[in-house]
Amino acid sequence: MIFRTAILLAGAALGAEPLVTGFERFHAATPTVEGGRLLYNELGCVNCHGGVTGLPAMRGPALATVNQRVRSEWLRKFIADPASVHPGTVMPQVLAKADAQTLLAIEHYLASLKPKTASKAPAKIMHVNGARGGELFNTLGCVACHAPGKGFVPPDGLPKDAEFTHRSVAFGDLKAKYSLDSLATFIVDPLKVRTDGRMPKTTMVRQDAVDIAGYLLEFQGSDGRTDVPVVSVAADKNLAIAGRKAVIAGQCAACHDLPKDAAAKPVALKKNEGGCLDADHTKGPRYALSDAQRASLKLFLAKKDEAASPKLAADLTLHALNCVACHERDGLGGPDAARKAYFQGDHNLGDTGRYPPPLTGVGGKLRPEWLANVLTERPAAKGADLFTTHYSGEPYRIRPYLKTKMPYYGPAVADLAKLLGVADARAPLKFEGGDDTAGRKLLGTQGGAGCITCHRWGDRPSLGVQGPDISNIAARLQEGWLREYLIHPAGYRPGTLMPSFWPGGKSFNPTILGGDTDKQIAAIYKFAESANGEPEGFPQNRNGEFEIVPKDRPVVQRAFLDGVGVRAVLVGFPTGVNLAYDGDKGGPGLAWKGRFFDAYLTWFSRFPTFEKPIGEQVVAWPKPAGRFLGYRLDAKGNPTFLNEQGGVRVEETYEGIENGLRRTVTWAPTPDFAPTIHHPAGMAMDVKHHPEPGRRVFTYLWK
Amino acid sequence: MKAASLVLFAAASLSAASYDIADILTASTAADTRAKDWKPGDGLALEVSGMDWTADGKLALTIRKGEVWLLDGVLTPKPDKVTYQLFASGLHEPLGLLRDGKDLLVTQRTETTRLRDTNGDGVADEYLTAGAGWNVSGAYHGYAYGPKRDGQGQLWITLNLDMGDHSDNKAPWRGWGGILDKDGKFVPMVAGMRSPCGLGTNLAGDMFCVDQQGTWIPTTPIYHLRKGAFFLNPEGIASENRPGSPLKLSAKIPEKRPYPEAVKALPEMRPPAVWMPYNKVGRSGTDLVTCDAGGKFGPFDGQMFVAEFTDAKISRVFMEKVDGEYQGACFPFVGGFASGIVRLNFAPDGSLMVGMTSRGWSSLGTKAYGLQRLRFNGNAPFAIKEMKAKPDGFELTFTKPVDVARAGDLASYRMTNYTLFYSSAYGSDEIQTAPNPITGVQVAADGLSVRLKVDGLRELYIHELHADGLRSAAGESLDHADAYYTLNRRPKN
Repeated sequence: MIFRTAILLAGAALGAEPLVTGFERFHAATPTVEGGRLLYNELGCVNCHGGVTGLPAMRGPALATVNQRVRSEWLRKFIADPASVHPGTVMPQVLAKADAQTLLAIEHYLASLKPKTASKAPAKIMHVNGARGGELFNTLGCVACHAPGKGFVPPDGLPKDAEFTHRSVAFGDLKAKYSLDSLATFIVDPLKVRTDGRMPKTTMVRQDAVDIAGYLLEFQGSDGRTDVPVVSVAADKNLAIAGRKAVIAGQCAACHDLPKDAAAKPVALKKNEGGCLDADHTKGPRYALSDAQRASLKLFLAKKDEAASPKLAADLTLHALNCVACHERDGLGGPDAARKAYFQGDHNLGDTGRYPPPLTGVGGKLRPEWLANVLTERPAAKGADLFTTHYSGEPYRIRPYLKTKMPYYGPAVADLAKLLGVADARAPLKFEGGDDTAGRKLLGTQGGAGCITCHRWGDRPSLGVQGPDISNIAARLQEGWLREYLIHPAGYRPGTLMPSFWPGGKSFNPTILGGDTDKQIAAIYKFAESANGEPEGFPQNRNGEFEIVPKDRPVVQRAFLDGVGVRAVLVGFPTGVNLAYDGDKGGPGLAWKGRFFDAYLTWFSRFPTFEKPIGEQVVAWPKPAGRFLGYRLDAKGNPTFLNEQGGVRVEETYEGIENGLRRTVTWAPTPDFAPTIHHPAGMAMDVKHHPEPGRRVFTYLWK
Repeated sequence: MKAASLVLFAAASLSAASYDIADILTASTAADTRAKDWKPGDGLALEVSGMDWTADGKLALTIRKGEVWLLDGVLTPKPDKVTYQLFASGLHEPLGLLRDGKDLLVTQRTETTRLRDTNGDGVADEYLTAGAGWNVSGAYHGYAYGPKRDGQGQLWITLNLDMGDHSDNKAPWRGWGGILDKDGKFVPMVAGMRSPCGLGTNLAGDMFCVDQQGTWIPTTPIYHLRKGAFFLNPEGIASENRPGSPLKLSAKIPEKRPYPEAVKALPEMRPPAVWMPYNKVGRSGTDLVTCDAGGKFGPFDGQMFVAEFTDAKISRVFMEKVDGEYQGACFPFVGGFASGIVRLNFAPDGSLMVGMTSRGWSSLGTKAYGLQRLRFNGNAPFAIKEMKAKPDGFELTFTKPVDVARAGDLASYRMTNYTLFYSSAYGSDEIQTAPNPITGVQVAADGLSVRLKVDGLRELYIHELHADGLRSAAGESLDHADAYYTLNRRPKN
């Protein structure tokens, strides 16, 4: 793979050392104890030498399945000289003697670790779309850490090389390492392999991962079945034993989870220099440290048993996990100028519509349990079944408009939420009472602050731009933060579109709860907490998604409809009455009041099936027995259905009236013909007296 | 309406030097109609499912949502002032459109409908049932395609097999094709199809249909539709016992055997005129059109162009008649379209309109739907124009004179033949592959054709040619050096 930033790596000495993005970006300029602390953890020094970093443990990838995951050739080359295969890797060169026999032995040892219950092989990949994978890779957030891929041009154009301020996490030769299937399996849930969360998990369906893998592997064509699988060796017992010895000698278990019989021994440090710190040392693991890395490590080694403050530990953890690749915190971090181009979203929301929110004070903003959920596992899917199709079925998100998705980091970072809570603690505030009726009004558009004009409420779209969901603010936000934010939104996020309705603490509305700011904010919080209905002002009918709402003219739509059949011709009238006509036997089938039709299945689903009227007071006619010939629409859009009964052409026009339907039946009168005309049960009928020959008018009204 | 960009993997099949792809309208992203927050109101989701030209030169098209739109201005060099007019709405997933005088005929799931604008305001006000008589169960896959008019003026309709909930392939005419009589009644003509998505005639007015690989269909076939033919998929064969059926199978379905054996065991079974080998020439054929552009679409007048869904590309087909039956070769042509192609239609100016939608299935391309236009830019490609069967081999004709030395070298050619396995499974591998040694080659004096003497020809097998060694007299490589001939019959002379 040739990526753009490879250009940055060429030439300079920069790039030979192991990459800890957070160090390179924030700590490399001047050697500091803090930078050393970060490296001591992230390079795995602490795993052999002990000490207190305060950071979540860095662990190597799970090895029990490595033979099924990566190609044998690649694995041996990587073990022999990791950085030559995977530039910037934090895996040191551990083998003193990387001869073919030792490498083979290690491979067989690793193969012997295969879990007894082999996981079920995934279904064969039928289809791969690399171009689509490229769009996902370049917009989901992968490029926050990795280099943007070739062939993709962000909407604002390609950034200049100079705008990349730090190295990207390189891939090496992915084709040599993975099959399409094994890379897709890794991408769909990296935490199964990278248990330490350093490669987090972005929620996606397997087809997304397959397409991304297809892009990264430059997979030709669309048929995934032509993938060349990873073939793992069958472990040879004697080789495995020899391999285990080499693994013990290499201290591999210090960083990788291995069986007890391959455990690594702690290695006490006698002094704060030499050993691994030396470029040319021969005993133990070899790291190609840069001068800046070495200097910082030395500073830290002198203090390696001193605990970090919660604030420092929290900040360094965010650097270690590279949270700051996407998020700003205390004015530092966020995407660099080059990567900003790859963050996309809803331009109606300005910068807040494309960049993830800041983490400044996040431990005092989010409730610890919510924050823990965000970091370790997503909240339960809510509304995910709404439009579950081949490609979506996404779990619930607060900010679905951000194309970049917040990944999660797994149980390894379980303590981070608590740590941030301590580091960012604010003066506690607990709302007392709270009038949820007033809260409902305040959130709504009928004399309230009109929050739902811009904010979604659960699965209800807002009335205007689609800002973050606020239905769950009570579960999500700390009271003190909410109060401070509502009074001065720009104080938290400069440039936000969110206006203040309580500027300087003074309420916009002096009549609700006497204009008391604290009581009003408490009321909003209380209403969200009560989960009792929705704010005032949402339209009564769900006008959105796929619902058809007749406004000024009747709307005709054919569909499969329960009670009428596959040839139903539905007509919704602007007066709020609806008809379904039998487009086979030629006669009225059903009528109902209220909402007309939700066309989701008919217009959108690959799997449409029978629909139902979505209104109320459904009435039915007896089954007709004629023949349907079609319909015509008059200038007002009212339909006239054309039928044949016993060889005679019979036409009938329907008009929607208040609470009912007017039906006019006409035919060319002959002495020996009278059309069969049925009427619906359950409606009041008014027949026009003294009918003209060949013409009948009926008015049906709902009782 | 952004231009189609980012076509990463299509380079191999893109004859970019001779043909240009231009966007008329495409979705803003690949997700779009697949995305959770997409809704039909977001602009015009041009999920094209049928196309034809109105008497006054507008492009009429159906979209899957159930609307007919009239597009004016699509043939301007830079289509940035196209106007869109809604002509009809409320239809049930129409998948075909044909102009009939001033009217438009569209086939919805349940009927063919005549759309008429009686007051001349540019909007249809009559929706008249013009064709019906097939069962619709409510199964999601119960599609209906057409109409297309053959040389005798008959309107053809094809009906997909049902799949999924409510499926009923024993009910009338699923998997069949037929014509509409003067009262609009469906008259069955052919059976044994699965997803007969694309109908079209050749210049002689004979009707063809492209089906897709699937159960019983080992790879995409092109059928010549004519009364009494049974093709491949027997899942809807129960209708042979209904009044009006033009055929009755005289033997059991000869399943689980190589196709050449199967077709010999069932007299009513008619081999496809052309097999399109899986992956090599696309995966799911969806439409076919014959070029009659008087050279404006390059040197391929009289040939068919076949739309392909999964790989979003177009292939080319040459046919000839041997013993009164059509057979011929297919060639890769142009790829790199924005989405799965469903409809093709030649414009009056000889450019090819390409209608796309991939909602519900997977395709290459970065967009969910759209309309593109493929134009010949005047730089004739160096291509194998025709591949004709001869008693002892094949004759190739070219669009440009060949380099005689290379063309006369046996080493410039490589050929194998194989067939497919006929069974209820989904698709088939190539089986019984055998080499076809090239034993002689003769280059015509004008350099525009060569005669290959080939050993090991087998009737009913696909003969795959690679002519990588060929160059034009000017030194160009072939745009595609591979060709696939379906040798149903070996000519006697």
